[in-house]
Amino acid sequence: MNHTSGPTAAGNGGTFGPEQAAALLDQTTQQARRKFQPSPPWLLVTRAVMVLAALGAIWLSVRGQHPYRGPTAADIPVLVAFIAVNFAATVAVRRHATAGVSGRSRFGQGEITVLVLAFVAAVVAMVALGAAGVNFATYPTSVLVIPGLAWAVLMAARANWRGLATGLAIVVIGIVGAFAGPAGAWAVAAVGLCVVLLGSAAAIAWQQRA
Amino acid sequence: MNNDGLDPLIHVPTRLKIVATLAALPDGDTLSFTRLQDMLELTPGNLIIQLRKLEEAGYLSSEKTRNGSAQKTTVALTSRGREALGAYTQALRDLLGGL
Repeated sequence: MNHTSGPTAAGNGGTFGPEQAAALLDQTTQQARRKFQPSPPWLLVTRAVMVLAALGAIWLSVRGQHPYRGPTAADIPVLVAFIAVNFAATVAVRRHATAGVSGRSRFGQGEITVLVLAFVAAVVAMVALGAAGVNFATYPTSVLVIPGLAWAVLMAARANWRGLATGLAIVVIGIVGAFAGPAGAWAVAAVGLCVVLLGSAAAIAWQQRA
Repeated sequence: MNNDGLDPLIHVPTRLKIVATLAALPDGDTLSFTRLQDMLELTPGNLIIQLRKLEEAGYLSSEKTRNGSAQKTTVALTSRGREALGAYTQALRDLLGGL
């Protein structure tokens, strides 16, 4: 419902008609959805731009390497800064949005454990690849597969189909990147993650307006 | 119901805002009294009165928990409350569509 008549008349002692009620209902619902959203579209779009810039910069630096040697020492601070800023922003925004909210939408202890184990497993896989003589830098997107799968499973268990699609898309990026060659994998990750984040932002924005 | 089919319990600005805000939470979630008060910018007294009316009608449930000396109240829309808001929204659509 989109009605332009303002809801303030009722608050000033006027009659509270259907038009005012519809406007107030629309306004309150959209405001509440925005305030409760732990991943607001603006954050996802910012993240999309950042991931494209950070991983794109690495791709630019490695694409001319023959033979491939991996990200340069100058790339590492960019990657670490991206991860740190992303993590801090995500935690701060999520904490603000979910303040005072409790119940099913918050992650349970078991779900948090699964996610932590997924990231630990990704690190173990990287070490195992290294021990087997395969440099992780050769398959940089492989690190996305296990956390992506874990996220997809958790979202499926919650019947959160958008979350499930996001998790599966991350898995696909990880797999496609493995076939794109070591330098191309960085481009696949940059573009793929950017598209996934922009898609999520669009879906959430549409959901908030509905 | 009013003559126009609008539920009088919801068809009050403050209570409509309370119900719409709680309906924006995923099913099964609860909201603390203080966050709700903060979001709606209501005085505690006014909010308590409106919440009591909605609770008496079975539209929302509240729970008080004590953590040491601090008491925390959480509220949530019941399935009956969600149905009532759905019916209210439909009644509004019918009314405005008929204008």
